[in-house]
Amino acid sequence: MHVPIEYFLVLSAFMFITGVAGVLTRRNAIVIFMSVELMLNSANLTLVTFSSYIGNPVGQLFVFFVMTVAAAEAAVGLAIIIALFRNKQTMNVDEINILKW
Amino acid sequence: MSLELFLFLVFAAVAAVSGILMITRSEVVMAALFLILNLASLAGLYLLLNAQFIAVVQVIVYAGAIMVLFLFVIMLLRPEHEKIVTKISGIRTFAFIIAALVFVQLAYVILKSHPGSALNSDVTASVNAGTVESIGTELYTNYILPFEAAGFLLLAATIGAVVLAKRKFE
Amino acid sequence: MNVDYLVNSLYLIKPELAIASALVLLVLIDLIMGNNKKFLPYVAIAGLIAAAYFIIGQFGMNSLAFVSKSNKGMIIADPFGAFFKGIVVFASLFVVYFSIKSDEIKASFERHGEYYTLIFGMILGMFFMISASDLILIYISLELVSFSSYVLAGFTKTALRNSEAALKYVIYGGVSSGIMLFGISILYGITGSTNLYEINSLIQSSSIPNLTFILSGILIFVGIGYKISAAPFHFWTPDVYEGAPITITAFLSVASKAAGFALLIRFIKITFIKSVDSAGYWQLVDLIDWKTFFIFLSIITMTLGNFAALWQDNLKRMLAYSSIAHAGYLLLGMAVLSNQGMIAIIIYFAVYAITNLGAFFVVMLIANKIGSENIDDYKGLGYSQPFLGVSLAIFLISLTGLPPTAGFIGKLYLFIALVDAKMITLAVIALLNSVVALYYYIRVLKNLFLSRPANGTFEFKVSFSNGLVLVLLAAPIIILGIYFTPLVDLAKNSMQILGF
Repeated sequence: MHVPIEYFLVLSAFMFITGVAGVLTRRNAIVIFMSVELMLNSANLTLVTFSSYIGNPVGQLFVFFVMTVAAAEAAVGLAIIIALFRNKQTMNVDEINILKW
Repeated sequence: MSLELFLFLVFAAVAAVSGILMITRSEVVMAALFLILNLASLAGLYLLLNAQFIAVVQVIVYAGAIMVLFLFVIMLLRPEHEKIVTKISGIRTFAFIIAALVFVQLAYVILKSHPGSALNSDVTASVNAGTVESIGTELYTNYILPFEAAGFLLLAATIGAVVLAKRKFE
Repeated sequence: MNVDYLVNSLYLIKPELAIASALVLLVLIDLIMGNNKKFLPYVAIAGLIAAAYFIIGQFGMNSLAFVSKSNKGMIIADPFGAFFKGIVVFASLFVVYFSIKSDEIKASFERHGEYYTLIFGMILGMFFMISASDLILIYISLELVSFSSYVLAGFTKTALRNSEAALKYVIYGGVSSGIMLFGISILYGITGSTNLYEINSLIQSSSIPNLTFILSGILIFVGIGYKISAAPFHFWTPDVYEGAPITITAFLSVASKAAGFALLIRFIKITFIKSVDSAGYWQLVDLIDWKTFFIFLSIITMTLGNFAALWQDNLKRMLAYSSIAHAGYLLLGMAVLSNQGMIAIIIYFAVYAITNLGAFFVVMLIANKIGSENIDDYKGLGYSQPFLGVSLAIFLISLTGLPPTAGFIGKLYLFIALVDAKMITLAVIALLNSVVALYYYIRVLKNLFLSRPANGTFEFKVSFSNGLVLVLLAAPIIILGIYFTPLVDLAKNSMQILGF
């Protein structure tokens, strides 16, 4: 293995923080969901990195499950956005305010 | 510089830059396309890590299925561009500064703990761990119960998505 | 390939199997029967009773299921898990009954099949959450519970506040589970295993980088803290509790929280424990100051919950903040880090489950008739509907923790555990918090009994079956408040976690 493990981990930490920053700064519900996907992917990168360096397949198996969850989350989240859009014609989380945030 | 390191730097740069671009573009479609680029470069990184199976699944499931779903919904709803982001740029800079600080902390923790020193990276073991065979064996023996639970999760998510998105039940 | 160990383990997961079969049966019956939906609740109740029967059998068990040569076991059958599964089934039975009676749910009649299926999805996820001993299963089950509850929170999608609640829930849930997953990935990296028992033996034997470990622990706690709505991660609670249908709010506030606490206790006690001393105090791996961590969390959680509840006019929203405050009290029991604290948590939770279900049931019965959950609209209810008024009063007094109700016993055992652990200051803070809580509960009682009703607002009859269920919920609170030995015995039996 020619690439030090630290490089992969720093990259994954960077992607994780990018995802968190996206969740905090963006106001469009779809983009917020995409930022969450970015966070999940950074965790996947960490899992695959460790799994590969330890030589143990469980981490990659975990990634397999995370992908299942991510697909399900996208389906449910987007369905909720569609249901809300029908009622309110917006997907901006600042305008969704019957209930206080 | 070895080929592996070079490829790593290329993929990592693409992943990092496309991630940043994804959260800063105001057009939703552009953001989605940059996310696809990010996911594709991750697949390249998985190949570098000898995780062949996961690399393929990454392309098929993420780029192929999940992002297509996102793009469909974006096309369906045609969201207008975000105006509000620029209006509260103070909060935005604040968020980015906080994010940068947390990143520095995380990187410090990672570099401080020297994970590389504790691991004897054995290339053969790593290649063997990433094959379809080893993942499949684990999945259908030790991890059969989470596998079944994931089946119920998909059932619940399917039913839920249909309930929410269907306009009217006849 | 030898699959005997899989087949031989099946008897340990009978409750899960019962719920899973009932879920599949519900889907099939809904498909076959078409528009005839009135059998669905009975199928649901039958499935729950079967699960309850198997859970009672689990009180005598103490073993790991799905153990193989390379795996230390996936799921645990022990009295501790049986108790919390029992709470979940108990709450589910009542929630199914509430759903039959709720006008909100009746209005979406054509989607009843999906409604009960998703409730069973949640129950199945909670069962796995309560008894899992592997990080992968924990993550999957947490998400199974979350997805089903996102959809249920937005179930009656005609109401705008419903879809809003669902969106807020899904955004907060997605973010916190993403953070938790990152923590899990770090934990896997440090130890190379996803099994809690294996992680524990690794932590005890080798030198683990301290800093990384704390980081992963905190990140994982975000996910669990979100499920039990502990303070910095509670933001979704008031909105979702107010926006969701009442039956779902009741279910989330009791069952979901039970599963979250069971997961928290099991995760801490299995993963980080070194030994339990003769007095029952836990010696945890001294990576961080666990005691301070939990004390800090519980103080901010209960103070925030209680003070925010003071300003609420909507009874559902007020009960949401009160449930945050109760999570704070329960975390006090964690802060003691002893078997005695755990017994206190179990007693407190049993009482909290009955009381909260009762309170939400009364709110639902009244909302069915007057279409409002506003506290000011309850003026004079105690005069025109003395039965409902007195029951609500009993539930609220028990939530405050005043004698002679069972809520008092729950708080009493918690305070005794605190005093025994020489944490007097904390006990005083908790007591002061209860005084604040008294104020907002009394405010509701004042509206109930001290104001005259506007004429004709509460002209309705409580049906016999509703009255019977209300008595079933209110009577134990009074009885357990006076004769509480069986409750304490149950708690002592169910505090046993496999291995320690």
